[in-house]
Amino acid sequence: MIEARGLSKRYGDLVALHDVSFSVQPGEVVGFLGPNGAGKTTTMRILTGFLPPTDGVAAIDGHDIFSDPLAARRAIGYLPESPPLYPEMSVEGYLAYVAKLKDVPRSARSKAVDSALDRCGLGDVRRRVIGALSKGYRQRVGLAQAIVHDPPVMILDEPTVGLDPIQIREIRSLIGSLAGEGSARTVILSTHILPEVEAICRRVIIMNRGRKVVDAPLDELRQTGSLEEVFARATTREIVTEEVAS
Amino acid sequence: MRHVFAIASRELQSLFVSPVAYSVMTLFAVLAGFFFLSGVLQFQEYVIRLQAFQMTEQLGELNLNDHVIAPFLHVMSVVMLFLIPGITMGLFAAEKSNGTQELLLTSPITIWELVLGKFLAAAAFVALLVALLAVFPALLFLFGDPEIGKTLAGLGALLLVGLVYAAIGAFASSVTQSQLIAFFLAFVLLLVLWMLGFLADLGAADGAMASDTVGNLLRWLSTAEHFESMVMGLVETKDLVYFAVLTMGFLVLTKTTVESVRWR
Ligand SMILES: Nc1ncnc2c1ncn2[C@@H]1O[C@H](COP(=O)(O)OP(=O)(O)OP(=O)(O)O)[C@@H](O)[C@H]1O
Ligand SMILES: [Mg+2]
Repeated sequence: MIEARGLSKRYGDLVALHDVSFSVQPGEVVGFLGPNGAGKTTTMRILTGFLPPTDGVAAIDGHDIFSDPLAARRAIGYLPESPPLYPEMSVEGYLAYVAKLKDVPRSARSKAVDSALDRCGLGDVRRRVIGALSKGYRQRVGLAQAIVHDPPVMILDEPTVGLDPIQIREIRSLIGSLAGEGSARTVILSTHILPEVEAICRRVIIMNRGRKVVDAPLDELRQTGSLEEVFARATTREIVTEEVAS
Repeated sequence: MRHVFAIASRELQSLFVSPVAYSVMTLFAVLAGFFFLSGVLQFQEYVIRLQAFQMTEQLGELNLNDHVIAPFLHVMSVVMLFLIPGITMGLFAAEKSNGTQELLLTSPITIWELVLGKFLAAAAFVALLVALLAVFPALLFLFGDPEIGKTLAGLGALLLVGLVYAAIGAFASSVTQSQLIAFFLAFVLLLVLWMLGFLADLGAADGAMASDTVGNLLRWLSTAEHFESMVMGLVETKDLVYFAVLTMGFLVLTKTTVESVRWR
């Protein structure tokens, strides 16, 4: 469903991403972990076609992101690090607009908007102006925007940031239901909250300094210790070897 | 095309939710009223004076088109130099500072659809301004008998020059994420473009101009040169071509800069 081969990204001299490859099968829910600046957002931006990689190729749902970008983007629901909202628009107006951009046919549009509102718990604020919503509700609108066209692939960059504990639980169960048993929806989500990964994901990719350092099923990782230990080991080891090298 | 309309209508909606559209329209209408009234009064005074001196020949040459409508449209084209950038400054800059650029560029739309949608919104607003303005010359039809063809050519000239401004404003908005910078960049570009002919004349007088070809090129590039003959009712292909080339040229530039976000 998602294929990434040898992705690299340089910003001037800074190597933000170095030779990252992975593939995600349909129905898989992958947690993307890594310390700040590890390259999680950069990877997601490349997969969604927002940024071109310096090197490497990627395909979404069989569509190459360069040679067939529109089909690849149509298959993705993307929640960027900061939700892309128009503060002056109403919640439902905004979702209808996004549905148009994402090629939801006119006849299905209002149903798609209703369903996204419903699934993200936005029914009560549908006519409110986005700029007047609380941060948590804005985050939900961002999530609703990512699912309004019912995409087979979801790429969520820190979906639960800024939410209260109850909302976090709701959003987690929402993501869980989106990717639930039987649905072939593929999800990649990045987060700094390790229990979140344990709650939703079946597979973990850990990034560190632009490299993929761990890629394994959660069950397997748990056998060598808690996720926190695995994370700490994976993200400090790199630094140690680098120091030795220099 | 569906995407183009979706983008344009969203843009117009947010323009009319914010105070920008109304401020620009109000300022435009007030200035138009002022210049129109002062133009008409001046004309009247002139007629009375000519009658007093019984200068029938000059009186016969006076007409509403050349002496009221054309100067009025001319001054309004200068007013548009600083009002249109107010409308276009947010087209792309706001998407960038909002983070919504990330939504647009990861949606299944092409950059051309995005650029044309934005331009269409600005063009619709320009058309609205020109329609507002048409009310004033229309008043003259109640009291006098201006030529309708000439009047329409003048309004058409203003519309075309407004579209050029809109394309340039869109370009200015695409190179920055600050609306303020977009505004001033557009204003400076428009001003320079407007005055190129004047600069060419200045250069020619100085003898500083390298050659006549450069001077002619500058004069050809100047919006004022093309606007002035059309506003007098002279619709010529070369002027129409000029407006089309400039509008499309800046739209292509805009497309290239929007696209270049991807290649940084
Ligand atoms: N536009 C940019 N220009 C220059 N450097 C950038 C840019 N965007 C990201 N970087 C750099 O690339 C590296 C990876 O950043 P990225 O945002 O992908 O990290 P991240 O894993 O998402 O971090 P976080 O957990 O803080 O969100 C960082 O060192 C960052 O400073
Ligand atoms: Mg990030």
